[in-house]
Amino acid sequence: MKLQQLQQHFLHYLNDAPNSLPDLVTASAGVSVERRLHIYHHAYRARLVEVMQDIFERVWAYLGDDGFADTARAYIGAYPPRGRTLSGFGADFPAWLLTHFSGDGEIADVAKIDWLLRVAFDGADGVALPIRSLSTLAALQPRDWGAVHFRFHPTVTLSSLHTNAAAIWEALNHARPPPPAERLVRSRALVVWRKLFQPHFLTIDDTEAEAIAMLGRGAAFATTCDALAQHYPEMDNALAMAVFLRRWIDDEMLCGYWLSATTGEPSTNPQLSPEAIASPTCTCGQKQFSVPPVRKPDR
Amino acid sequence: MSSAPVIHALPSPGFGLGLRTSHYADFLEARRAVDWLEIISDNYFGAGGKPVAMLDSIRADYPMVMHGVSLSIGASDGLDHAYLQQLKGLADRVEPLWVSDHLCWTGLAGQNSHDLLPLPYTEEALALVVRHIRQVQDVLGRRFVLENVSSYLSYRSDEMSEWQFLRHVCEEADCLLLLDVNNIYVSSVNHGFDPLAYLHHIPPGRVQQIHLAGHSVHGDHIIDTHDHAVAEPVWALYAAACRHLGAVATMVERDDNIPPIGELLDEVDRARSISTAISNDTAQGTLSP
Repeated sequence: MKLQQLQQHFLHYLNDAPNSLPDLVTASAGVSVERRLHIYHHAYRARLVEVMQDIFERVWAYLGDDGFADTARAYIGAYPPRGRTLSGFGADFPAWLLTHFSGDGEIADVAKIDWLLRVAFDGADGVALPIRSLSTLAALQPRDWGAVHFRFHPTVTLSSLHTNAAAIWEALNHARPPPPAERLVRSRALVVWRKLFQPHFLTIDDTEAEAIAMLGRGAAFATTCDALAQHYPEMDNALAMAVFLRRWIDDEMLCGYWLSATTGEPSTNPQLSPEAIASPTCTCGQKQFSVPPVRKPDR
Repeated sequence: MSSAPVIHALPSPGFGLGLRTSHYADFLEARRAVDWLEIISDNYFGAGGKPVAMLDSIRADYPMVMHGVSLSIGASDGLDHAYLQQLKGLADRVEPLWVSDHLCWTGLAGQNSHDLLPLPYTEEALALVVRHIRQVQDVLGRRFVLENVSSYLSYRSDEMSEWQFLRHVCEEADCLLLLDVNNIYVSSVNHGFDPLAYLHHIPPGRVQQIHLAGHSVHGDHIIDTHDHAVAEPVWALYAAACRHLGAVATMVERDDNIPPIGELLDEVDRARSISTAISNDTAQGTLSP
């Protein structure tokens, strides 16, 4: 038998598909062919379940050892690993969970948070804007805000949750009993990023998610303000943008800014004026205001 | 009197340890009594974050070797060239003493088992592995180091022993060997062969590195679990390897149930003592009339 056929039989055996592997293997040293094969059959799943326990730690805590192992093995059967390395293995797990479990979908949402945190863990590096950048930004002339663009940390990712999975995740992460699962009336935006070595997530308002999405696509700050003003006329969008900006810098989500009309190039090392740090102000359109302190991220 | 072996391997850099995430802080905190570290290449393919930062910091203080688990040198549908480029990129960053992976296959046609599956020891497999190693050496621009794996089955189609296969591979591909002494022992029990017969068939000048690791005994067979201290029969086989091979870079591998670093450094010291004592005996024997 050619090597390729033998290897195909082996993979079919691991996948519980029809195969002739037992006929190709020698029994020796008093150990039967069946027991020899079973070592590989067991190791294949055990190793991948262990990998999934590591990635989806909060799903594991939510489902328990047996529940998680059964679920993971079913996923492995549905989505055998395709990549040469394990880095992409598990990417389909959150979506697959939606079909595997009926109910509110909170397990899929918890898995989504776990997965996005894992992706952020070893995503590309970025040098965060120092907090004192706020003073430089505050010194910009009102007309310059029309030309300011921002660059987010490479790991900043937007998604959305349809359940109270963020609260469930938090409880599980601290080994507390999770709250009852609830399906949200409206989905909630989620932002995931890495701060130094530690991945974080936050649930955010639609306004902030839209601002991150627009700025991330390269829109100027003032253009983004205008769009928010159109979409959310009831809000003081200039103030909201100033709050966002302050928090993004505090949370190391921003890596650079540039004035398209002047330099046309991003600036990650702006000349800063430390004396202005204590009372930074931002300008959006013709408004100017102080930037308030921000709350800590969820994780 | 036999002639001295032709030496292909680099001189031994001494005694090392497999770098694991739980020991990052230990290596950053103080200089540890190891001459070099081995990294699992596949764990450092990410673009950034903690793994790459730790790698760069620790590499500044220790020579490193790269050990991969996903090259799948025996896959009948060919090498994954994207993976090979990742490996080359990491080698450019780490500047390792050498790069190794296993004599096995891990998958086919896009599916990857992430297990080190055994090859049949046939002329067809031999030709394929030799061809693949030459390709790897061309891309990496360096000699490749190939490790023997533990196995739990053999094939009816085998045309030679594992040690004959390994010797043919390294001589025909002009590569080097990473001899895992624990794997020889584990497979010798599982298949009922003499581990010394295996060992004595290995050409000394081709062995660049030795792995030592623990295993789990399951009645009539042994599983290569890397979750225990090195077992006594493996230490005995290591001593035999030192007598046969001379001074070879040796390290302790631990992948599960990882203890405080001190326990692993004690095992590294034991390897150093065994190897040094045998080297001294050999030197005295050579000097004696």
